[in-house]
Amino acid sequence: MKKFDSLSILVFIRSWGITTLLVLLWIFFSIWAAPIFGTLENFSLMLGASSIGAIFAAAIAMGVYSGALDLSVPGTAALSAIIMAQMIGAGMDQGLAILTALFIGAGIGALNGLIVQTGLNPLAVTIGTLSITSGLAAIVTDGLPLFEKLDQLAWLGTSIYFGIPSTFYVVAIIFVVGTIFLTKTRGGIRFMAAGGNPEALRRAGVNSNVYRLLGFILSGLLAAVGGVVTSAYTSQATPAAPTSVLFDGLTAVALSGLALSGGRGSFPKVWIGSMVIAAIGSGLLIKGIQSFWTTSITGALLIGALALEHVIGKAVAKQAVTKSNVSAHKDVKKAEVK
Amino acid sequence: MSNNKEVALDLQGIDLHYGYVKALDGVNFKVHQGEAVALLGDNGAGKSTLLKLMSGVHRQTHGTIRVHGNEVSFHSPKDSAKAGIEMVYQDLALVDALDSATNLLLGREILRKGPLGWLGFIDKKRMLEEANSETERLGVKIANMTRPVEMLSGGQRQGVALARAAVRVTNKPKGILLLDEPTAALGYEQKVMVESLIKRLAEHGIAVVVVTHDLPLAFSATSRMVVLNRGRKVCDIETKKTTYEEIVGWITGAKEPQKDMD
Repeated sequence: MKKFDSLSILVFIRSWGITTLLVLLWIFFSIWAAPIFGTLENFSLMLGASSIGAIFAAAIAMGVYSGALDLSVPGTAALSAIIMAQMIGAGMDQGLAILTALFIGAGIGALNGLIVQTGLNPLAVTIGTLSITSGLAAIVTDGLPLFEKLDQLAWLGTSIYFGIPSTFYVVAIIFVVGTIFLTKTRGGIRFMAAGGNPEALRRAGVNSNVYRLLGFILSGLLAAVGGVVTSAYTSQATPAAPTSVLFDGLTAVALSGLALSGGRGSFPKVWIGSMVIAAIGSGLLIKGIQSFWTTSITGALLIGALALEHVIGKAVAKQAVTKSNVSAHKDVKKAEVK
Repeated sequence: MSNNKEVALDLQGIDLHYGYVKALDGVNFKVHQGEAVALLGDNGAGKSTLLKLMSGVHRQTHGTIRVHGNEVSFHSPKDSAKAGIEMVYQDLALVDALDSATNLLLGREILRKGPLGWLGFIDKKRMLEEANSETERLGVKIANMTRPVEMLSGGQRQGVALARAAVRVTNKPKGILLLDEPTAALGYEQKVMVESLIKRLAEHGIAVVVVTHDLPLAFSATSRMVVLNRGRKVCDIETKKTTYEEIVGWITGAKEPQKDMD
């Protein structure tokens, strides 16, 4: 490929557009919201503030990769956090309480997956689970938030190690391990293939249902991580399912360049997407602009990101086909000469 | 010519009725290991229906199907796949976001050696090498092994799907390969590639059945031709003993059915 033709520009936008957007936003807010935005302290705050959104975005991304939008994420988060809070409040070991919460999250995910595999619509099933889990969380606590002994979780929620907020370490582990799993391992590749074209996997002699189930389990597990970290960050567990994380998470996933059609996408870019949302929130907050604006802008980002992916995806596919045809012809000519 | 070879697939007295319509009427069809057979006919003659019986998509009303001499009863494409029959579907069944090499090796990925391999880490380099050597052995050209297949043209996608089926079928002893209009979307060079691929697979001992409208392909790549007309077999002849004119006559019905077939 020579110089800058339109294809390489499109491919560049597709692979680096979101990162460029984040850098531009940082530059813009550093000037507009100077001097506060551009400081290391604010960057550290932003890392912390974006963490919870990033964890939920990861949960939603896992569902989307496997071909299903899991809407039960907020309910799963609420129920697992409430159960953890009750165990800690009752004086039980916090490690055990956290593990229980994660186990419950994965279990709810598995249940979602098994129900969906009977042929029911995943959107409807996960909305049902959302209601069931958030209802159960409220029943357990009579609808009241729990506070007791949750300050024990400060090491996870509000501490700072080496200048970096503790919650960000959780994000880093999730995205590093997740990216390695998705791109370097057999399980990850089959997982993505099951989301993209389960029939292809089936014909290759692989049970694609196992991998679609895995998507729901990972989504539920990460939702529980999100619930636990939220409780640690706020030192309380509320039974109200935080449905706004669905929209932020979905926007982060869309910003990462996914067509939301399953089987494709870059996991690290989901994190960058959630940083974009956090940067906008932080910048507007510093300028004293009402947070409702952030909500509206997030919505516009979601639609804008999907529209851009749609346009670029089409253009790239069209041009790349022409190019690959040309190179195939070259190959044949070479072969004939031999 | 092929009578001394082992019979791979043997269909006897096949009837298939859709209500009052007889899609297939007393058809006998055989293919031997190491033989490529063209299954020809006009639209609606029953050739695709016959292929779908062999691949387990449809079931016959009467008649028997034997694979390697054993009578089988296919309830789904899975059953026929278990019996060693590989079918290239027209929808191709590729994973769009994965590259050609990964698509070729899906389900038999190569893992790294050592502890990373135990954790399920794949060896991308060796997978690429393996994909290259497998396609080279089959004489299939794939423009770019590391490009996602969604960025390939229709013809190249078909090339990947064919190569995958061919690789799978050559990895089994006594494989049977069914191709449904393999050249429908292809340009000239890719047609030549499919032609030589079919011949090479037959030389490997694979039994190949090709349903096609492409008579030049049938004449150049297969050693026997079977023509169906309105659900009946009207000829079954060695390719070198017939001509375009004869075959076209059988396809259109202008020529009397061949006598004493089988």
